[in-house]
Amino acid sequence: MNLSAEARSVLERSMEINDVDNLERDDIETVIAAMPDDRVLLYKNVVSNPIGDLPRYSIHIRIQHMLTFVTFLALAFTGLPIAFFDHFWAAPLNALVGGVEVSRVIHRTLASVMVLSMIYHAFTITLGPLSQILKGRFDIRRTILPSFKDLRDFKDDMLYFSGARKMRPEMDKFMYKQKIHYFAAAFGNIVMIVSGSSFLFPEFWAAILPLSVASHFQEMMRLSHPHEALLALLVIAFWHWYNVHLAPGRFPMQWTFLTGKITREHQMEEHFLEYLRNLVELPEERDYLMDLLSARELDVEEEDEDDLLAEGISP
Amino acid sequence: MLNVLKLFFLLILPALVYSHAGWTFEDDEACLLCHKYPKMGRITEDGTLRNYYVIPHVFAKTVHRNVPCTDCHSYIKQLPHKEVKVGVKCDSECHSIKNPATGKNFSHKPIYDKYIKSTHGRKKLAIGPDRDKPYCVTCHTNPIYNPEEGKPPKRIVDRCVVCHEDRKFVVNWYKHTSRRIREVRRSSEEIVQLCSSCHGDKRLIERHMKAAKAEGRKLGEKYPYAVESYNESFHGKVTRFGYKKAANCLDCHADYDNYYLSVHFIRPSRDPASPVSPERKLKTCKRCHIYADKNYASLDPHPTNHKDDNPFRHYAEIVYGWVGDVVLFLLVGMAMVETIGRRRDGVIWKIKKGSSWWRPSKRGRNRKI
Repeated sequence: MNLSAEARSVLERSMEINDVDNLERDDIETVIAAMPDDRVLLYKNVVSNPIGDLPRYSIHIRIQHMLTFVTFLALAFTGLPIAFFDHFWAAPLNALVGGVEVSRVIHRTLASVMVLSMIYHAFTITLGPLSQILKGRFDIRRTILPSFKDLRDFKDDMLYFSGARKMRPEMDKFMYKQKIHYFAAAFGNIVMIVSGSSFLFPEFWAAILPLSVASHFQEMMRLSHPHEALLALLVIAFWHWYNVHLAPGRFPMQWTFLTGKITREHQMEEHFLEYLRNLVELPEERDYLMDLLSARELDVEEEDEDDLLAEGISP
Repeated sequence: MLNVLKLFFLLILPALVYSHAGWTFEDDEACLLCHKYPKMGRITEDGTLRNYYVIPHVFAKTVHRNVPCTDCHSYIKQLPHKEVKVGVKCDSECHSIKNPATGKNFSHKPIYDKYIKSTHGRKKLAIGPDRDKPYCVTCHTNPIYNPEEGKPPKRIVDRCVVCHEDRKFVVNWYKHTSRRIREVRRSSEEIVQLCSSCHGDKRLIERHMKAAKAEGRKLGEKYPYAVESYNESFHGKVTRFGYKKAANCLDCHADYDNYYLSVHFIRPSRDPASPVSPERKLKTCKRCHIYADKNYASLDPHPTNHKDDNPFRHYAEIVYGWVGDVVLFLLVGMAMVETIGRRRDGVIWKIKKGSSWWRPSKRGRNRKI
């Protein structure tokens, strides 16, 4: 496979971070060279364990996800019946959790847990990269920070889905969809915490804001809390759950949030740059891939490459 | 079947008869001579059916059971009486019952005088928009069943009769005072419901808005939205679900020095006498929100999204709605495009035997089997 400049850069940085010696570098380069240029052939032919093959999330991220999703659903369950009090489902749902006297206590307790989870996450995403920077192992492309590449990836992905491009773009550990979702969730969480605290401590917010702003702020918070909650619930129900449960290849669910592992075919298809890092970090993955390529006769010979180039397939 | 009938005649019927017999009142003025007939009534000039039937055992359970009819219907001087023009006014004076504190004839006049000066004050036979205002009986419905007037505890009454001798007097006295001592008042939900029966009536509000405009009178800014906005507020939402500590209408609009007196003297918010007037609002907020300051008092307790009431919220809500719709549309659209694209390329829904690429692709490059 002829790596693109971006992929080559990611691979080189990964080898640098992992102090790869010449022997291992040759091994990695051999695997890369044997890979077909058409990445579609790769992810279509590998064998994947539905539970996951390759490492993706640390135990911290999994705990944070678990805390957030459990508290989020329970918060929606106890909060929405109060916000949308005049809908037919509101009163029975509220009665189910013991009425407003009980649900408001549950709601506030869960909100505190969610805030703690967010603080835990803030520590994780600060201290983790800090430690990597100190050790000289940091690669910003491996983080969830958005970049212009995401816009290009989005455009290329849409072109691929509409049939105008032969391959999906080479995306990193976090692709544009995950970045959208992550920052939407982070923004939503902040809105929910600020607006929720304005209900719980209205005197505090009124005291610290100028008189001309205090009332408008409270109005916005009253509006934002239920709207943001409903929007988040709908995005989770119609998009996030679709992506991780119902989308083709992901049904009945991705186990990543429990096992921390991603399937091989998924990693190759949507996170090819991260897969290159896996090849550097996991010698057993290189062995697996070499075996697969020769067993399925996918290892590239020069004339095949010419054929692909003639078909217009380029990385 | 016969046994059931026997049981009915032997047990239930006597019990019903007895229960009624125990709830009669003294009819010294012979009013029931005519008013005992259920069909007694007439159709008024404006076509309203009026019924003048008095049900003895029902009346015997009301708070006025000990008041002779002519104490209130003082215009009745002879039987059969002449046509009633005005009817009972609540500021009249009882001649048969003395106020034990003053020794004078009992009357509701002191509280009536307060009420008549309030924003709700009206004459018994009001005309024009005042007809929509509540008269005493609008709120004081004298419910027949009052759970607070249940049987008094025997131990208390037993002690009282040692000196007061007359058990019937003691029981009645106990019922009267204990009801007040227990601070019997409507629940928050009931108060909101009662106020909403007028302030939530759109036709009534429209009538008053028109009348006020024609007369050049000023109405409260929140007058058209009082109920709707309260229901939308945090106070309203939790009160609807039975939470007792959130503010109801009277908690803010009635003066807190003497609640029972001030609920009869509700004034518009522009009147400095009102607890929600700009002069007194902060003090009212501080009753519950002890750390409230002048900024806090500026918060709108009756939020609405009406353009003329709150344009900021009106447009913010529109923007929020659009953002929500567009976000969902785009995300779901993106998921659909992705699914169609990947399905065309041969993906199946579930990983089987190590792969989810078992379908033949319409774009070539199938999985090698």
